[in-house]
Amino acid sequence: MHSHPKSWLWGTLTSIRLTVFLLLILAAVAVIGTVVPQNQPPSHYSRYFGEVWGVLLWQGGFANVYFSPWFLAPISLLALNILSCVIHGLPQAVKRVWRPLSWGTAIALPQRGQVTWPAGVDPRPLVTAALSRELGRHRLETLPDKEIYLAERGRFRPLGPYLIHVALLLILAGGLIGKFWGVDGQLALDQGQAAGAFQVGPRTEIPLKFQVRLDKFQVSYYEPGGTPKEFRSDLTFLKDGREVSQATCRVNEPVSFGGLTFYQSSYGTDSMGPILLNVQGRDLNQALEVPFRRPVELPGGRGRIIAMKVDGNFQGYGPAVLLAFSPGSGHPEAFWVLQDHPELGEQPGPYRFRVESIPFKYYSVFQVKHDPGVAWVYAGFLLFLPGLYLAFFRPAERWALVLAKTPQGQWQARLLGASPRHREEFAARQKRLLTGLQRGTPR
Amino acid sequence: MISQILGAVMLIYLLVAILFLMAELWSSLKLQAAGRIMLWLGLGTQTGALLGRWAASYRLALGHSPSALLGEKLRLIILQAPLANFYESLIFFAWCLPALGLLAFRRYLKGYLGALVAVLSTLLLAYASLGGVDSRIKPLMPALKSNWLLIHVVTAFLGYAAFALAFGSALLYLLQERRPRPSLPPLPLLDSLIYRTTVLGFLLLTLGIATGAVWAETAWGRYWSWDPKETWSLITWFIYAALLHARHLKGWHGRRIAWLAVLGFMAVLFTYFGVSFLLTGLHSYLT
Repeated sequence: MHSHPKSWLWGTLTSIRLTVFLLLILAAVAVIGTVVPQNQPPSHYSRYFGEVWGVLLWQGGFANVYFSPWFLAPISLLALNILSCVIHGLPQAVKRVWRPLSWGTAIALPQRGQVTWPAGVDPRPLVTAALSRELGRHRLETLPDKEIYLAERGRFRPLGPYLIHVALLLILAGGLIGKFWGVDGQLALDQGQAAGAFQVGPRTEIPLKFQVRLDKFQVSYYEPGGTPKEFRSDLTFLKDGREVSQATCRVNEPVSFGGLTFYQSSYGTDSMGPILLNVQGRDLNQALEVPFRRPVELPGGRGRIIAMKVDGNFQGYGPAVLLAFSPGSGHPEAFWVLQDHPELGEQPGPYRFRVESIPFKYYSVFQVKHDPGVAWVYAGFLLFLPGLYLAFFRPAERWALVLAKTPQGQWQARLLGASPRHREEFAARQKRLLTGLQRGTPR
Repeated sequence: MISQILGAVMLIYLLVAILFLMAELWSSLKLQAAGRIMLWLGLGTQTGALLGRWAASYRLALGHSPSALLGEKLRLIILQAPLANFYESLIFFAWCLPALGLLAFRRYLKGYLGALVAVLSTLLLAYASLGGVDSRIKPLMPALKSNWLLIHVVTAFLGYAAFALAFGSALLYLLQERRPRPSLPPLPLLDSLIYRTTVLGFLLLTLGIATGAVWAETAWGRYWSWDPKETWSLITWFIYAALLHARHLKGWHGRRIAWLAVLGFMAVLFTYFGVSFLLTGLHSYLT
């Protein structure tokens, strides 16, 4: 049957052996991706893995393995495998689901038990009660010489695996759609600044069809020195210079406007002018104006300081500056000086620095994106769940009870049934059904 | 206070394991019953302790952002479920094992199987209380302030627990196959227990990954970032998907399925512990 190359190819594509093989290959490649650091410069790999292995890893695509043929080839093949299986089996499954159990099919089911009632006993109320209790809804077909009760459980089960696999295809399609038709970039805004474009990649800008302004950025802490409580950016969207909408963007609370979504990503503090310090020592008590990131000599050659960084709310303690102090020729030492809490923090050297004022401004960085694939991915998630339920939690069972009179005039029931899987549950139900039916018979 | 109670729960589970083992060695029904009673007692106490910690977290959060509105309070209750750091994940994992075990194994949760589950919970609680894990209740950082936190962590850890139960059944299967003992559950039953718990775990892991993806999309604008935790959960998912396909469509049973369940649980352990300690990534606040 598989001698023809076309049918051999189809047989391979629809084979479960290929599926299991691909799943294990994908697992192995993914393991490599978590062991080899991803998206690092080439030098990083030579340093960690040695010259030869480093170059091999980099050249071989293992530095970005999830977007290399090592991963893309098996995942594409898996998608093809899934698609083939769906095409191969779905029509049959649909046909099976839409065709209810007929008595012709039912009487061919294997026999599971037999009950005979004494003459004169009409077992029909008993049969109906037992079937209703165990199987719920059932049908009755009356033939000239017998009555057949038909019941089906998990009739839609055959669709379950196909729902699951269509869901997976939707998720993969969503990923591709996002890759090709999505945009993903960054936008850094100073407080008060408005922008009409955002960055994608190091040198590419995409213009916005509107303007977005950062009115205010705030960072708050539960308590000084504790956990951050909130990063909050108040945004205004403008069209042709007119304010159209205002929104607050927080972590976990993105803001959407004009087809794009803005996510609070990071923030920072910019210096806005020279920092005013006061320096005290044994023989010194002087105000000092320190421009940002430019060395300033202390009077009398006592050393020099540089303001390296400012922070608008350092660990919740308010504005602070990171100073580097080098006494004469010595090695520089860095330390934070807090404007509202001069008592906190160690300061090296014989001098005590205090902050008078730090002119600063926050900036806030947003992830900006539009991904038409997300809807596909979510649709996949939603479809996956009923698929799993049908496939694993709705065992398919078919039952028939054939009721006929024996030549002696007694009612006799033959219980027929089958379940392709879930033998245990089936056996338990069979036992309960037979017990229920035998209730009206002498033992 | 709650930490001390959890220490006591650890001792109860240890006692459960000993009772079940002794019951098995001396084939004593009385000891089996005692083990079951102690297991229920431990689970009940631990449930109380978890609820107590939940209430304490909620009170702390309410202190930080007081509100009289019912909606706000409800949101705080959902947010402050004790599932926000490594310690809380350990004690929740230790709770999931007997809870899910009673649900999935019912009357079979006794003897060696019951002892295995109790030992795993004891180890988790021992690590939480004695392993130098920070047990303080801390307010939530902005990244964790999401309604998805509860459902994501609950589904993920129930999934881990279901796989742990499959692992336990698989171990017993391999043991029983090598050296049959009449007191152990028969092979077909163990095979079916492996399968049932794997299906349950697969459903829960899928839910955990999906809710995590939706959460990541609202928090970072990316439903999938190839973060080590994400990647390892996917590796785990691949392994169990392979197991289910092999069993359903290739008719694999018994030993081979048992070994796959063992392999899968190794991946689960690495997803939980290995990623947190050996690799860094978006989930690093767990440690």
